[in-house]
Amino acid sequence: MTPGSHAGGIRTLARRPGLSQDGWFRLALRGVALLVIVPILWMMVDTFSVTVPVWERFGIPGFVVGARWAPSFTIYGALPFIYGTILTSAIAMLIAVPVAVLIALLITEILPARARTAVAVTVDLLAAIPSVVYGLWGLLVLVPFLRPFEQAVAGTLGTVIPFLAGPTPGPSYFAAGVVVSIMIVPIIAALSREVFAATPRLQREAVRALGGTRWDVIRTVVLPIGRSGVLAAIILGLARAIGETIAVTMVIGNAPKIGASIFSPGFTLASVIANEFNEANQELHPEALIALGLVLLVISVLVNGLAILIRGRFARGVGRVA
Amino acid sequence: MSRSASLAAERLRSTSSARRARERALEICAWASLVLALVPLVAIGIFLIGQGVRSLSLEFFTSDPPGDLSATGGGIRNAVVGTLMMTGLATLVAVPVGIALAVFSREIGGRVAAAVRFVVDVLAGLPSIVVGIFVYSLVVVATGHFSGYAGAVALAVIELPVIVVATDELLRLTDRRIDEGTRALGMLRWRSFLSVFIPTALSGIITGIMLAVSRAIGETAPLIFTALGNNFFTLDLNEPVQAMPLLIYRNALNSAFPAARDRAMGTALVLVVIVLGFNLAGRWIARRARPADQR
Repeated sequence: MTPGSHAGGIRTLARRPGLSQDGWFRLALRGVALLVIVPILWMMVDTFSVTVPVWERFGIPGFVVGARWAPSFTIYGALPFIYGTILTSAIAMLIAVPVAVLIALLITEILPARARTAVAVTVDLLAAIPSVVYGLWGLLVLVPFLRPFEQAVAGTLGTVIPFLAGPTPGPSYFAAGVVVSIMIVPIIAALSREVFAATPRLQREAVRALGGTRWDVIRTVVLPIGRSGVLAAIILGLARAIGETIAVTMVIGNAPKIGASIFSPGFTLASVIANEFNEANQELHPEALIALGLVLLVISVLVNGLAILIRGRFARGVGRVA
Repeated sequence: MSRSASLAAERLRSTSSARRARERALEICAWASLVLALVPLVAIGIFLIGQGVRSLSLEFFTSDPPGDLSATGGGIRNAVVGTLMMTGLATLVAVPVGIALAVFSREIGGRVAAAVRFVVDVLAGLPSIVVGIFVYSLVVVATGHFSGYAGAVALAVIELPVIVVATDELLRLTDRRIDEGTRALGMLRWRSFLSVFIPTALSGIITGIMLAVSRAIGETAPLIFTALGNNFFTLDLNEPVQAMPLLIYRNALNSAFPAARDRAMGTALVLVVIVLGFNLAGRWIARRARPADQR
């Protein structure tokens, strides 16, 4: 007999005297759910309807791949911001992924059990600091600090590769990528840590019993089993990087065009909305910014959906081997 | 299991000194990563304490900022009060609703519950600026003006998925024996939730609430389109309301002026202390509630 049928049997017994009261309970829960879900869905539909003039005027592909953003001429194209979002996220991921995964390995595989929580909580603190504080620190401390490095790269590699060339005004795609990388390290590290900690103990011990080192345990057990879980963690970090707004707005330099170099100022989808919305008084300007928000919404739903799919596969995988 | 074990045995044939070197290299890389990640944490701490403390005074908390950002003097009273009012109202709404949604999807199921779960998942992954845009078109456009209420709605939408996920997780972990016990006693389901399941999970739910609040207090992006900000002191949520993150943002953009710069750093210090306070308190409650052997 399954536990479910057991409980179900008892429920039918209990239901007879209490039908009305529990009926009200269920009704109230349903009411609350509908009262919340309907306005939220309505909000999304409503937001879309605001942007209809933009889609009518430029077409969906025309708006998404339009390379020019000139509110005073009523020309709106999202490409510079999509480019900025992809570039800053890529820079952030390149820095954050190895650092975060190594931190997760350090916590689960190398540190003694007593030190684990303390280190984990300290790393988690990075995730608690508000975005605007990262922006303030980035603007006043990190951007000036990174400039000599940027100038050195632009002066050497940059003379050969235009993508790394100067000028280096300070606020740039690169600075934004570095700030975002700091913000997503704790997210990827925390999720990867859970994945690594879920590695079946028998497998670790089997490798140790054969004389394997900790590196062997990581290479032959922890990483292969955790692969899809870590991938899900990385994609969730990417989703955060794509949506990061205020800190990016404060250090990216705010230029509505595709910058030639990673040291050029630019904009991401999220940061152009934050920066221009309150001053948007040209024709279709607010609508076009909201349309950018919808593009951002679609991208982040797709990326999050991907992470949820992969995480589901990891959970099933662990269930199988354990 | 036997597959990866035999793989391991196969790969272990290298010399021991090379293995030891790899082990060292791994440890060094892992420690270096930790140091690299903690440098910004320490740097931000030094920056905020070193530069922010200067701005703190009694006046800083009891007066409002000057109309001109570049002018010295004044304080952040309106922003502190605005943040407390909006976050407080948002939490008052989001907590009962979030718990109800979690109970709903656990207890009732069906198509509406699947829809609830989907919407909560989407909300959890949504960039906060998109939440701001939604609430802008729902509340600000409908009422015709920016307001503290709109800001509170945006913060509530941001808190909601955190609370639902935390509560749902705890209800899922509720011991099946307790569940069956309440059923065996013939308890009504609403009674079981109100007097058994939720009290059992309470410390975990409180932790979820604390983490939700600590996230909402620091949010800037959604408030730009909703609460807007205000240079004056107001208790009326029907007007534009100032918040600490907004004040930091606007002053930081004018950080060429020493007064704006100092005001931004002082406010950032206060904000970080409040946010970390909520965050650490939440974790502490969660740790205390766990049985000693799992801490």
